[in-house]
Parts: sequence; C-alpha cells; structure tokens
Amino acid sequence: MTLKLDKKDLKAFLETLMEEYDLFAPVKLAEGVSIYKKIDSPDEVDLSTENPQKPAKEVFFPQSETMFRYEKAGKRYQMTSTEGVERERVILGARPCDIQAFSLMDDVFLGKEYKDVYYGNKRKATTIIGLACPHPLSTCFCSSAGGGPFLRKGSDLFLIDLGEMFIVELLTEKGMAFQKNKFFREANTKEISLAKGIEEKASTKADASVPIGGIDRRSDLMMENPFWDRMHEKCIGCGVCTFLCPTCHCFDIVDEAITDKGQRVRNWDSCLFPLYSQETSGHNPRPTGRERTRQRLMHKFNYFPKNFGRVACVGCGRCILYCPVNFDIRQAIKLTSPKEIKKVKDEVDLTRQ
Amino acid sequence: MIQEKIREKARELLSNKTVDLIIGFGEGSLPLRTTPRFIRDPEKVNRLIWNSFCENNLATYLHKFSKLKVGIVVKGCDARSITALSLEKRFKPDQLFLMGVPCQRMVDRRKVGRAVKGEILQAREENDLIHVKGDGFEIALEREDFLYPSCQACMHRNPIHVNVTLGDPVEESPLIESYHEAKRFEQMSPEERWNFFERETSRCIRCYACREACPMCYCTECFVDSSNPKWIEKGLSPSDIQFYHIVRAYHQTGRCSGCGACERACPMEIRLTYLTQKLNRDVKELFNYETGIEPDIPPPLSTYEIEDKQDFIK
Amino acid sequence: MKNPYFPIPMRVKRTSVETTDQMLRTIELSFLNEEDKRAFHFIPGQFCELSVLGKGEAPFGIASSPTENGSLKFTINKAGVVTTALHHIEEGAEVGLRGPLGNGYPITLFEGKNILVIGGGFAFTTLRSLIAFFLQPQNRNKVKDITVIYGARMPGLLLYKEELKEWEKRDDIKLVVTVDWGDKDWNGKVGLVPNVLEEVAPSSENTYAVICGPPIMIKFTFPKLMALQFPNERIYTSLEKRMKCGIGKCGRCNIGHLYVCKDGPVFSYDQLEKLPKDY
Repeated sequence: MTLKLDKKDLKAFLETLMEEYDLFAPVKLAEGVSIYKKIDSPDEVDLSTENPQKPAKEVFFPQSETMFRYEKAGKRYQMTSTEGVERERVILGARPCDIQAFSLMDDVFLGKEYKDVYYGNKRKATTIIGLACPHPLSTCFCSSAGGGPFLRKGSDLFLIDLGEMFIVELLTEKGMAFQKNKFFREANTKEISLAKGIEEKASTKADASVPIGGIDRRSDLMMENPFWDRMHEKCIGCGVCTFLCPTCHCFDIVDEAITDKGQRVRNWDSCLFPLYSQETSGHNPRPTGRERTRQRLMHKFNYFPKNFGRVACVGCGRCILYCPVNFDIRQAIKLTSPKEIKKVKDEVDLTRQ
Repeated sequence: MIQEKIREKARELLSNKTVDLIIGFGEGSLPLRTTPRFIRDPEKVNRLIWNSFCENNLATYLHKFSKLKVGIVVKGCDARSITALSLEKRFKPDQLFLMGVPCQRMVDRRKVGRAVKGEILQAREENDLIHVKGDGFEIALEREDFLYPSCQACMHRNPIHVNVTLGDPVEESPLIESYHEAKRFEQMSPEERWNFFERETSRCIRCYACREACPMCYCTECFVDSSNPKWIEKGLSPSDIQFYHIVRAYHQTGRCSGCGACERACPMEIRLTYLTQKLNRDVKELFNYETGIEPDIPPPLSTYEIEDKQDFIK
Repeated sequence: MKNPYFPIPMRVKRTSVETTDQMLRTIELSFLNEEDKRAFHFIPGQFCELSVLGKGEAPFGIASSPTENGSLKFTINKAGVVTTALHHIEEGAEVGLRGPLGNGYPITLFEGKNILVIGGGFAFTTLRSLIAFFLQPQNRNKVKDITVIYGARMPGLLLYKEELKEWEKRDDIKLVVTVDWGDKDWNGKVGLVPNVLEEVAPSSENTYAVICGPPIMIKFTFPKLMALQFPNERIYTSLEKRMKCGIGKCGRCNIGHLYVCKDGPVFSYDQLEKLPKDY
C-alpha cells in the first residue's frame, strides 16, 4: 500500500510515534558525523544526513550492553537479568544495507542452537521504517552484495524522499498497523511515478560489479596464500572497519564491579585487536596482522557463507570511507580472482625474504 | 618533481640493497586520498607518488617491520617522530633510511568534501589549486584554504635528521599562530574547556584508530587493555572514555611531533590535537624542548637530574 | 526464550590443592537449585563457563564424570583474573555456572572399541572424566581395553594422585604414569610421553586414541601415533581457545567456519586437518 507523509507533518508524526514506541533514528553529532540513537525529542531526528557512521545494528546489539546486574546478599548473589524490553521500538531511517545486515545478524544471534535473548527481544519488539537511498555513494556496492539502494526486504514501512514529502510504503503486517495513521494520506499516481523515477536512477548508481559471487569457493584455497603477506601490510590494526560494519558482531563479556555490586556487560570487540585472540598463557593463535586481516576477510567471505549460505557483507562501504589508511575491501575482493592471485603470488615469491 | 626523486631514490636503495623495503605513499582508491605503499621490488617504484594528500605518518609502520632494513618517505613531522622513537631505542643503528620530503602542507580531505554539494568523484591537484569533479559540478578550490590545522601551524616542514632530502627546502613560515589550538583552549574558562572536551570525547567509539595511527603508541599492552590490574572498563561510559583520552595525551608529553595523525584517523572526527598541542606547548615553555629536534636529548618527562626543581611537590 | 548467558548458582562444596606448585586446584561444586540439578546432563569432554561475579567468567572442562552424581569438579590452573579468584574462593561460597557447553567426546563411537588415552600436564581434566565414566561398573563393558598414558613434568605436578593409585590396582585398565624428571620418592617411569607411547606401543587395531596436553607434547606424540598406524579419524583431541560466550556468538574461538565452543572443543585430527591452523 502506497501512502505519503508531508515533511511538515514529520515532527507531529514522530511525536505521536514516540507516545507508543521508543524511537531510534539518525542524529547528527557534529558536522558530517551521525549515529542511530534513542530519540528524546523529534527535533533531534536528522533524515537528511548521509548513512550514519555507526550502523543501525546498534539498536539491537548496542556497543555496550548490560546483561545482568548482581548484588551480594549474605553468601548468596541476587542476579537480575536486563534482557527484557519495556516498550515496543521503531527504527526510523535505516538504509537498505543496514536492514539487509539485520537478517545476517539474525542468522548468528537467532540461530538454531542458541538464541541470544538480548538481541532477539529487541529485534522482536521493533518495527523498521526503512529509508530509500536516492544517492548511493561511489563506495556503495550493495548491488554487488545481494542488496540495492531501494531494497525493501526487511522493512515494515519504507520511505522514499521526494523533497517535500516522503512516499510511505506499508510492506508487512507490522507496517499495515500504520494504515490508519492520521498523517499518512493516499499518494497520487504522479507522486508514485516520481518515486519510481528516483528508484530507477539510484539503482544504476550502486556498484554492481564487485565480484562477490563465488568468492566463498574461490577463497577456499586461500588460507595459506602469500596474498595475506601483502594484504595486511597497511592495516594499522584499529577497530574502525569492524565497529562500523553492519554485519560484524564479535563481542567481549566483562564484569564491572564495585565490591559486592556490579553488572555483567558485553562490549563490541574486534578480530583486528591482538588482545581479541590472545590467550591467558600468552599464546596468540593469530599473532600478527596477517592472521587477523585474514580472519576479518575470511569470516565475511568464506566462513560465514559456509555456515549461513551468504557472505557477511552488505556493501555499505563504511569500511572503505572511514579506514584511516584507505584499505579498500573492494580491492581485496577483486584480488581473489584466480588471475590476480597468481599475480600477487608471483610478486611475493619474487621478493620474499 | 618530488615524486620522481622519491622513485629514483627508492629504486637506488632497493637495487643496491641498502634497504629491503620502501614505505611510501601510493595512489588511493578514493579521490583526495593516498594509501601507504610497501615496495620491495625496484621495478615497482613507479607505484610511489607524492601530493598534498599524503596525510599518514608512515613511522607508525616501522614497529611492524622491525626486522627489516627500511627506507621510508617522511615529512617534517614524521621525521621528528622517528627521531623521538630512536631516542627510545626502537631501531638498530643504520636500520632506517629516511627519505625526507620538505612538506607543502597536507590537505584536509573532509574539509574539501564539505565545500561542495554532492560526492566528489574525481580530484586533481595542480599548482595551488585542487580541481574537484562530481555529479553535476566541477570546480577549482584554493589549496591553502583546505589545509589541516596542524599543517597550518607547522614550524618544521623541512625534515631534519634524515639520510637524504628530496626536493628544495621550504620556508618555515607558519600560516597561523603556532600552538593556536592550545592557546584557544587555554583561553576558555575551565567550564568551557570541560564542556568542549566532554562533547568531543562523547563521540568516541573506542576503535583506537587514534592510538594505532600514532607512531608513538607502540606499547605491547596498552593500559586500556590490561586486565590485571584493570585500569578502566571497556564500555562507553563517559568517564572511561575521557580517562583513555587524557592518559593517551599525557603519554605523548614531549614525544608528540604534532603530526595530527590521531585526529585524521578518527572516524567520528573527534578533535584530539588540541590536547597534545597543549602539552607540547607546556613542554616548550617549561623546558624549552621540542620533540624530535635534538637527536640526543630525551624528552623532559623521560629523564631527571638531581638538581631538578621539587618545590612544586607539596 | 531461555537466556543462555544467565548463570545458575552453585555452591563451592570443597576445594583442594592438586599439585606441589600450588598452581592447580580442584573445586567441587554442588547445585543450589534442585531444578538446575535435574536439568543438568553432560558427557565427558564438555565444559562450563564459571563465574566469579565481579571478576568475570572463564571456560573449564568438567573433570568429574556424569556418573558421579550430585556435584561437578573442575581443576583450575591459576593464570588470569578469574582463575586466581577461583583459587582464592572459600568453601560455601557461591559461583555462577553456564553449561554444559560444547560437544564432548564421541562416547558412542568408542563403544565396542579399545580406547587409548594420552594426557600431559593439567590437560588431564576431561580425560579423567572420560576414564572415570568408562570405569563405572555399568559402563565398563561398553569399551574393551582402556590404556592410559599420563605424564607430568614432575611427580608433584600429577593430578588426581589418589585416584591414579586406585586405577593402578585395577586389572581392567592399563595405566602408565610417567614424569619428565623423577625425585627421590619416585619409583615410577621417567620419560617423555611420546617416548613412553612408543615403548608401550598399543595396537591401533579397533582402537580410538584421545590425546590432550601441551602443544609441544601433542606435536611430538602425533608422529608416534602415525607410526602405530592410527588413522586421523580415530585420533581425537580437545582444543583450548580463548572463549567468552561459549555458544558460538562472540566469535573469538572461531577456527575457519567452526566455533571451538559449540562445534568442539573435541575434534578428530581428520577434522582439524581441514581447518586453518588458527589454534
């Protein structure tokens, strides 16, 4: 069902939304820097920004999250889980790439063996209002990664920015619940065709030529390839690419305590940090950048497909945009073609030692 | 042209086996960017380039290649970092060959990006102009209007203590007052200072790009990572984040060359250099010491003398 | 949804020092809630995450056998923050437990076969569980010959000394205990595990080998097993990796597409050969 929302009504719409839901939306923190955040006032919401630095995964999988609190009472401990979600939630303005990533995170967190209640409860309580990407950047390659700037899959409602208004598509049962919303009106055919035009133009812009298809099989034989000797060299081992990646989901679990009271917390972690794999004995199974860079890329393009049938990359381009040393994942993917691998191998062999 | 001189020197150093590896800058995958390049084959030196987007401090890679003889392309600030690292005995004598390039000052790619409407798809530098092109626009911008603040205030653009200088020396003439960020910070009231610091650090995501980009941050185990003793928690609580940034800055006292690599690396665009600049200024005023100028004099906080003043200890 | 991260409360029933260097301590835990006890079923080779609240959580192989009802034993090497806290814990105190986690040894595969158990140092814990399980009267006829080769650097560093004595007396288990260096009271075997294996030379026919120990011991023992013609798919080991969640989410024990915590920790050499050497 296709409706529209006038931008002048946006604030009022958000106000009514916030009466029922906890609202999460892009908020500008500084010039050119934004994140998804729980909204206190509709004025904070900024749908005009580029895709925020930090992906929307934070709404389901916060960077730092309390798992339970405890307090010592005599010899026993009183433990209280914080897994519950008090109010229904709405994510407003998530891009199709981030939304596609939710389904990959579902594979991990809601997999068949163990269900992650912290992720699952939030996910279940959330309605997703996606926002179409009319201007994919040159670093965007969602169209190579099984997505697209107007991919609606995963959204309950979907917005297309027409300047003065948003086209609002109701896509799921959760979305249809908004059918009677007083701020939504029927869109006319002219508006609908305008949206179509923007969609057609945008879909040609996201790069569809990054050779992701078949990378899981190609990379099967790459574990010991000298390719990695070169690949990691410029990586400085920070966590930018993994923290800003909408599909990276590694975490650490720690206790924060003051004497008899405290909490267990999980924090995002990164396979690029040496400490991540370092064992108490001092032994580190991934001792250098070579193994750590390999882990990052192989997890996305080989291990994840083996477990879940698709790559753990949605082509959002954040790791390319924000890498301090311009490590470009697209180049790494291109280098996995048999011809390129041979070239790298020859070069490495020639100059080893 | 400097680029040619870099390639020529790199070819020579690799061919006569003076070094095993050259670390320099190569073509980036995005407009307005370069990327660190590692060359071992004299036939491949044409991959090295030089322009106003060579913003990284390549000295940070030296820790990674500690077993090799390395030739490295350095700007004034990078060379000073290496001198400071040499004082800390990070290298064997003659392990490094420094190819110094008098620096034209580097361009802030994000500032350029924000000067136009739309995404920049192509960029080209010509004399003092940066030509940028995107979907529906093509304009030329004055290079000087888009320099990194740390470069504008730089007083050491000519690299010192290098093995060779490639290109003609430049005039040491800061475009803006030196230590301007520190001075601006000093002029704030304590409350304003705190608010500024608090606001900036509130965006931190603890990716440690600032730490990893900095050549002076090479501890095997950073204090933030220590579990025993545990100095700080690893979440996003403001006090933990603030503690990290303050201690990181303090650890740089008298060791920071002011290259700005920390700030350039930050994906959340947190202002960081005002902190280290303030410490640099204090060290200059109190001890008349600047990082990486004197190759034999350790930073004041890394040494002591019996006659040191102690009347400030109460 | 059940919360897989939420520990159940356990009481420290007993703690005892195992080795003369004081670095290994066995703690015995009993369930504080009857329903947790009823719901807890494990097989040898599985592990648990133990919590000392305020210090954190760490994984430990279960050293007791499922046949020892009512409590669980863990032998803990003092190394980091959590293990140190567990060393200092007092009897009667409460600790948290999550588990059982991991796959455990392939008990059903072993049925009707001989088993050769090779252990070194403090990696003997889950092997002890395995041996005790099959030595239980109702399980003893599930496997044929049980041969155990167990080595430690010095006599004082052997685990479960009393139990080893008991086993030595039995005629339904062949136990060879060896040390790298003996002392004046030691009249047992002196020699490295790989050499002792060569000397004992158990037949590989109809036999599964299970080997746990320090990497260096495994490295030198493996060729000896090859020489005895054990095929890779009949050699099992348990991997030690840094773990946090224990349920295949947090990522750090990832080796290739497998997670040591949920797909292991027990793997055959056949499986390991196909994986990257990230361990």
